[in-house]
Amino acid sequence: MTGPAQPRDLPLALKGFEGITRYWDNAMAISSAKLMPGEVYVSGKDEMITTVLGSCVSACIRNPKTNVGGMNHFMLPQIGAGVSMLDLGGTAARYGNWAMEVLINEILKYGGNKRDLEVKLFGGGKVLDRMTIDIGKRNIDFVFNFLHQEGIAVAAHDVGDRFPRKLLYFPHTGKVKVRKLHSTNQATVVRREATYLQDIKKVPRDGDIILF
Amino acid sequence: MTKILAVDDSASMRQMVVFTLQSAGYEVVEAADGQQALDLAKGASFDLVLSDVNMPVMDGIELVRELRQLEAYKYTPILMLTTETSGDKKMAGKGAGATGWVVKPFNPDKLLATIKKVIG
Repeated sequence: MTGPAQPRDLPLALKGFEGITRYWDNAMAISSAKLMPGEVYVSGKDEMITTVLGSCVSACIRNPKTNVGGMNHFMLPQIGAGVSMLDLGGTAARYGNWAMEVLINEILKYGGNKRDLEVKLFGGGKVLDRMTIDIGKRNIDFVFNFLHQEGIAVAAHDVGDRFPRKLLYFPHTGKVKVRKLHSTNQATVVRREATYLQDIKKVPRDGDIILF
Repeated sequence: MTKILAVDDSASMRQMVVFTLQSAGYEVVEAADGQQALDLAKGASFDLVLSDVNMPVMDGIELVRELRQLEAYKYTPILMLTTETSGDKKMAGKGAGATGWVVKPFNPDKLLATIKKVIG
């Protein structure tokens, strides 16, 4: 099995993140991980993590003391009318909770505690005019609420508005580049997120249960 | 009433777990890390312990190990509820004496069915 030739060797992925798509980014001259909806990536190396966000949100989190950081990309599934969107005890929050917990736990595995973390939040755009519920806002509210409950401060954010965003995050330094995308790119982003939303609604992505 | 000790360092996760257990009629006591859970377990009796793995102060695996040394918790079902999927961690959990391993995100119905099964 041979993949496309790499101009440079990519650094070894941390345990558990081998499955994330990575490539050598020529323009930025850096190893880059490309996150799709529902994925999480954490790195201790000087890498770049990129993603494109419509109404989904991404938390970019790092521990400046260990230089380990990463990104998630998620949205809350739509359970049905009348379900409280901020019901943290409910099913809707499961995927958001999971995405946040995995990211935080994987970073803290390499040292430090929650108080050390530097958190930046992006996305949650209202990218479709015809949407009856503002899915983006729901995702934004969730992530702020979650961090508040965990007692973790938000260092910076660029959320809401009507545009999709292309996000470049450098977990080693905490630097972020955000580009607002215009309508030509919108269709792909919206389609990808719609597929993701359908997937988590139809087949709830539950973890395994084993009894020893 | 069946009493469960729910252990997780994440307040959001605890809220979700407690909500699930209480709506099924269980009495729930919460702890934010392994040490807190161990202290609570020594002072009261529980029918089941449901614990996260990665936690500050004392992690879930260590908690199981400590609980299994107590006469009162030798046979109490202890389920780990965690984002950890690695085989190594599962083996460590099994080695410490955990009853089972539930990977997050959890399906509330399946979690409740598993609890019912191990409580017997």
